[in-house]
Amino acid sequence: MEERSNRNSREAIFESIRGALAASKVLDAKESELHHAAEAAAYLQPGIKHDVASLVELFKENLEAVDGHCIIVETRSDVVQALYEIINKLQGTYLKAKRIAVSDSSEIERLVNLVDVDVDTFAVAPTASEVFNFDVGITYAQAGIAETGTLVLDSSRERNRLVSLVPPVHIAILNASSIVQTLGEALATLRQAEEVSPIITLVTGPSRTADIELTLAIGVHGPQELYVIVNKNLEE
Amino acid sequence: MNHVTSETFDENAKAALADSQLRGALRNATSLFGKRRLAAAQGLTNWEDLRTQARAIKDDVLLHLDQYLENFVSQAEARGAKFHWARDGAEANAIICRLAAERNARSIVKSKSMTTEETHLNVALEAAGIQVIETDLGEYIIQLAEETPSHIIVPAIHKTKRQIAELFTQELGIPPTDDVAKLTSTARATLRDRFAAADIGISGVNFGVAETGTIVILENEGNIRLTTSLPRFHIAVMGIEKVVPRFADLDIFLKLLPRSGTGQRLTTYQSFITGTKQNAFDDGPEELHVVMLDNGRSRMLAHPVTRQSLACIRCGACLNACPVYQQIGGHAYGSVYPGPIGAVITPQLMGLEKTQQLPYASSLCGACREVCPVKIDIPRLLLHLRGEITEKSSPEVQQAKGRTMERFAFKMWRLMMLRPWAYNLSARVGRLFQGLVVKDGKIGRVKSFVGPLAAWTSGRDLRPLDQKSFRDKWASDQGKS
Repeated sequence: MEERSNRNSREAIFESIRGALAASKVLDAKESELHHAAEAAAYLQPGIKHDVASLVELFKENLEAVDGHCIIVETRSDVVQALYEIINKLQGTYLKAKRIAVSDSSEIERLVNLVDVDVDTFAVAPTASEVFNFDVGITYAQAGIAETGTLVLDSSRERNRLVSLVPPVHIAILNASSIVQTLGEALATLRQAEEVSPIITLVTGPSRTADIELTLAIGVHGPQELYVIVNKNLEE
Repeated sequence: MNHVTSETFDENAKAALADSQLRGALRNATSLFGKRRLAAAQGLTNWEDLRTQARAIKDDVLLHLDQYLENFVSQAEARGAKFHWARDGAEANAIICRLAAERNARSIVKSKSMTTEETHLNVALEAAGIQVIETDLGEYIIQLAEETPSHIIVPAIHKTKRQIAELFTQELGIPPTDDVAKLTSTARATLRDRFAAADIGISGVNFGVAETGTIVILENEGNIRLTTSLPRFHIAVMGIEKVVPRFADLDIFLKLLPRSGTGQRLTTYQSFITGTKQNAFDDGPEELHVVMLDNGRSRMLAHPVTRQSLACIRCGACLNACPVYQQIGGHAYGSVYPGPIGAVITPQLMGLEKTQQLPYASSLCGACREVCPVKIDIPRLLLHLRGEITEKSSPEVQQAKGRTMERFAFKMWRLMMLRPWAYNLSARVGRLFQGLVVKDGKIGRVKSFVGPLAAWTSGRDLRPLDQKSFRDKWASDQGKS
């Protein structure tokens, strides 16, 4: 029944589209303003090789411009130290940071286990019903965009969808080598995957709103604090 | 300002003009967004090229909409999305109510979607006994106050923080405060429980990518991510015109939309959703349903001028730039889509009978066309619709107040402009008699005038005709040389 009515509506809509387009053919021929489709290749710049250090600096500058925190480190043990400092600092604030959730990347779990802080609860990729009970979510970011200070979260690579969203604090670890210059480069990379990932999220700073008298308020529904630890991996 | 309709636009506008608090809020908002948009556009060296490319892509999509829709749907279906087709708003609402009933849903969270405002989905869901909560902060405020949005991007632009604080005290029981951060955190805390309890999340769609079947949604607050990630079922409502051909095209639209809307280089979040999750244990909903809404859109394809309306990406830049919107705000338009783009979309969606004042709610200054990121020629559309009203619509519309007189006046004007002797004669007669109405070197409000002439002079001052016409001067100068 519903199947048939859905098919009927679909047919009716397509018929209406084709009918309308056919009716406008004559008029379209006279329409001088009609533009013609641009080729996608024309505006997708090829991956220009940038100097990693300058990309990292640009990323940091743009992330801080949208109220995110950026810590640049050089080795894996620096990452552990940075995590310690962030969590320790937060534990002195109303955000408490005693209940910590991480994505299901085994490396993240190993790193966080090395962090020497007092924690009440620790969980790997909690479910939708559990995730509300955490103060901090720690994930990887699969890429970064320097010119906007943006993180690319690809949930096919690790379970980061809820951990990066629901806790009031999100800490992301980003490898310097996966920072690209432009949005276009990041999109091109995402498109190259054999199959586009089911859920990709671009994150630029903490959650914000200006819905009340245009006054900026940070932290509405998403994280109130965003920390990005950029690892230059100099030990390798 | 509740329950105003487009039919009473002239009265709505007068009421809005008398509301000094509203006008103050509008002045702040529209000038701030205008400045931010300009700065953001100037931050890119190729802004004009981007606009041209975006429009070219939209034109290509609209001219082959059937093919691109088929591609988009088959790609998304292959990834697990289910599609539902709605010829009009009522059909869309019925589909969503049925999906909710089949899943025994009692509570729904919703993120901002102009398309569901267009179909009045919330009314339908509530009538079906399903609780629906708006989660965008501005929309949430509007829902608590039982009002409608007055701006596409900032729905509660017309409300002061004091009004919002009173509303929260009354509805949510918080102590009185005028601290915006506190109001925001109150909404966050209240809505968290709703998100946790919701069975279904309903969102809109900014772009649907034909080559991959991906749905793209932009936001700043995070409520769209929550709406589309937490509940077991996600329903996305999408206008059939929202398709773009290639994933790479998003580069252009993601540059244009945030900059035009709020002056941001990127909004805080962009969600790219391609079908459903791959493993049962992954985060995210089990089902993705996409409701494709026509509701008068396919009709607009039938003429190159009206087809432009479908290129709109709902950024709101034309609202902020419009001298009419700046004075009266969104409610006066009496429909979901206000401002210049509303003045052209609403009559096409709802029919000219009930909306015939809207195409006249413009001075045709062209500011909207200047700022439009997809170069929609809104003044041309307004003129096209005015033409439809005077030439093609039903006798009832044609003979409405003022239209007969208008047609007569333009007939006389045409007669005169086509005949030099008639033009000269009328100028001479005018020069002879204007002394009766000129005061202090101008023609101000003339009390003895009645009808349209009185309306004309009560609103503006006119310069009197020069004692010597250009033609006379030309003739005498020629004589000298």
